[in-house]
Amino acid sequence: MQEKKGYVSFVLHAHLPFIHHPESDDYLEESWLYEAISETYIPLLTNFQKLVDENVDFRITMTLTPPLLSMFDNKLLQEKYINYLNKMIELSKKEVKRTANDNRLNELSKYYYNRYSNDLHIFKDVYNCNLINAFKHFQDIGVLEIITCGATHGYFPILYVNEKTVKAQIAVGVQTYEKYFGRKPRGIWLPECGYVPEADKYLKEFGIDYIITESHGILYADPTPIYGTFAPIVSPEGVIAFGRDIESSRQVWSSISGYPGDFNYREFYRDIGYDADYDYIKPYIAHNGVRVHTGIKYYRITGKSEFKDYYNLQWAEDSANMQAGHFFDSRNAQIENLSQHMDTPPIILCPYDAELYGHWWYEGPYWLYVLFKKIYYDDCNFTLITPSEYIDKYPNMQVSSPCRSSWGANGYSEVWLNHTNDYVHKHLHVAGDRMCELAYLFPDAEGIQKDALNQAARELLLAQSSDWLFIITNGTMVDYAKKRIKDHIGRFTKLYYQIKDNKIDEKFLKDISKKDCIFPDIDYRIYR
Amino acid sequence: MPRKTKEQKELEEKKEIKKSSTSSAKKKSTTKKTTTTNKSKTSTKKSTSNKKAPSTKKKTTTRKRTTKEKVVEESNLEVAEYYDLPYRYNKTVVKILAQTPSTLFIYWEISDEDIENYKKQYGENFFEITKPVLIIHNKTLDYSFEIDINDFANSWYLKVNNTKCEYSIELGRRPIEYSNTISDYIYVAESNDIESPNDHILLESFPDMIKFRNVKNNNEYFRKMSDLSISKNMSKIYNIYDLYKLIYQDENLDSLNNPSSGASSTFK
Repeated sequence: MQEKKGYVSFVLHAHLPFIHHPESDDYLEESWLYEAISETYIPLLTNFQKLVDENVDFRITMTLTPPLLSMFDNKLLQEKYINYLNKMIELSKKEVKRTANDNRLNELSKYYYNRYSNDLHIFKDVYNCNLINAFKHFQDIGVLEIITCGATHGYFPILYVNEKTVKAQIAVGVQTYEKYFGRKPRGIWLPECGYVPEADKYLKEFGIDYIITESHGILYADPTPIYGTFAPIVSPEGVIAFGRDIESSRQVWSSISGYPGDFNYREFYRDIGYDADYDYIKPYIAHNGVRVHTGIKYYRITGKSEFKDYYNLQWAEDSANMQAGHFFDSRNAQIENLSQHMDTPPIILCPYDAELYGHWWYEGPYWLYVLFKKIYYDDCNFTLITPSEYIDKYPNMQVSSPCRSSWGANGYSEVWLNHTNDYVHKHLHVAGDRMCELAYLFPDAEGIQKDALNQAARELLLAQSSDWLFIITNGTMVDYAKKRIKDHIGRFTKLYYQIKDNKIDEKFLKDISKKDCIFPDIDYRIYR
Repeated sequence: MPRKTKEQKELEEKKEIKKSSTSSAKKKSTTKKTTTTNKSKTSTKKSTSNKKAPSTKKKTTTRKRTTKEKVVEESNLEVAEYYDLPYRYNKTVVKILAQTPSTLFIYWEISDEDIENYKKQYGENFFEITKPVLIIHNKTLDYSFEIDINDFANSWYLKVNNTKCEYSIELGRRPIEYSNTISDYIYVAESNDIESPNDHILLESFPDMIKFRNVKNNNEYFRKMSDLSISKNMSKIYNIYDLYKLIYQDENLDSLNNPSSGASSTFK
């Protein structure tokens, strides 16, 4: 086997905002979690297990954000996911019957029936409804490194005008990780890769070794890093930053030439939720009768026209195999060149949204599986590594301050601060200041006052989710995002006055504590 | 975002419209809210009067308690809620954020108490005979400039020429015309400090001696550029572009915009 000249590090960022509505079944947004479990998280876990079973030594890093962990751990959402699967099994069973006269469609409907039935079996019988332990298992056997994230994915470049609110995002992110994984995280995915140097001292305070930045977080660093994104840098405060590789990002992400656009891959936008007869599909779409995605999709991308051919599982696998080969060859060539110019072996960092794999790019988890097998078995000049392993092997790195940056459109804060959503920020800032005020006013609260203060901290954190700002910019599901901001700021403000006036409404507190039940162990004193 | 077609966006928009009968009206008012160009080429303004849309109720509900809440009964709920965001917090404040390396976002508010104090000190018509201004201080390069704003705005996008600089903003007022009572500029409030992001590879900060740190023991040491492998095949004058050409063979490093942009945080 060839000597390894460099490394490739995959980082998948798994995140969904905390969506939990015990008060109603009418929130479509709750299904994001169920779809992501079936399309991304279980397929990733299944492929990890396949690699382990086949004795393939691989490495991958994943963020499991605190809201996602909290939802994985939520009994009601676990039950609702099982209900979702039962409905999907029922629908796919009907589909097998409905498509009996069309062989190709019938094969696909059987595939979906088997897949959802298998999900139910895996979720209940193999993982005991607990995906956290499923991921933890792979971390414990050394193939997966799990990192943390800001408590609710709050975007630091907007929050840091009150640094305590950034500190709280980091602290709660680390505490949540420790609760579920029994140790401290070494890395953190800064929400939206939003880097501000003011966060460094808090990252160090809570034991974080490294962060992931967008490419220009490294390339525009000061002083300029001599190896670009191919080696980590360390900030003066001691935070290590790994930068996203440009070439490999483009190969996967590009909307023009990216792998997910292959004509043999499953077409995301043709779903029986929209295509099937309305009366037939009505029990499986939104409660209010609006057509939505069901997850059963029969077509492949086919081409750039409106015409879509049926999806062919074998063809899709063939394309994934071919593209894994292309990615493998590209990294080999890249590392061959880099290794001539560098004193330490280069690292090519490939960070992606986890939900790209499986949800958007249906074949993504299989592509990863094939690629990891190739890297292990085929002759090549690189191997997989986690950022932590790289730091431990090559601890000497250039001292440089990363550039303030994000991975949003155009690289800075436009996605989370623009004319559609800028009205939100003053409310986040005022609520942040008020939370700090409360923490100073009531340093030793007990009983209901303490409960109210902790709930106020939860409401603030939930209001700070970058997701709401993103959704408003993106222009879909806007009403829901705006409602969430209003609800959390509204609940926070009401609590703020009740706490200050010593007139806490127990019924109200109990009600919102049930709805916004994230971080049961939070301590509001983090804002002191 | 990968593979998001126009068709899907339209479908989702339809879905939004169906989901809430009020959403289309809200969207219209949001669209109207977008910026209008100010006389000054360097800035755009937002009108506060537009911000009040679509509900005038906000005004009356934000005096003392900043949220509006109704309690109604529902079958499976103990408490049902409805909230609106307060229009203002009755505090004197100026805040800045960096939207891009060259665009700052500023928002501000003056409390009722301060408004009354200015009126007491300078006369009831103080806010009619003076206009609001923003003074932008570039603390890194040590210069300031001023722009006129107006009393209909409570936030502003401001273009600045220098990236990677520390800025603060002062909100003040100047007499519109000569006045006996107000001779010159009157300070109202000062913002937080921010540093605008860098937007380019820092050619000027490329040193001959490179500082390294062993992150295991925190020992720091310097290495000469000429001793590093990367400079073996180069002339004595090192240029970061030449170095980057070696490791980024086909990339255009002057226009970095990675294609995952906008894909984060979206599931739909």
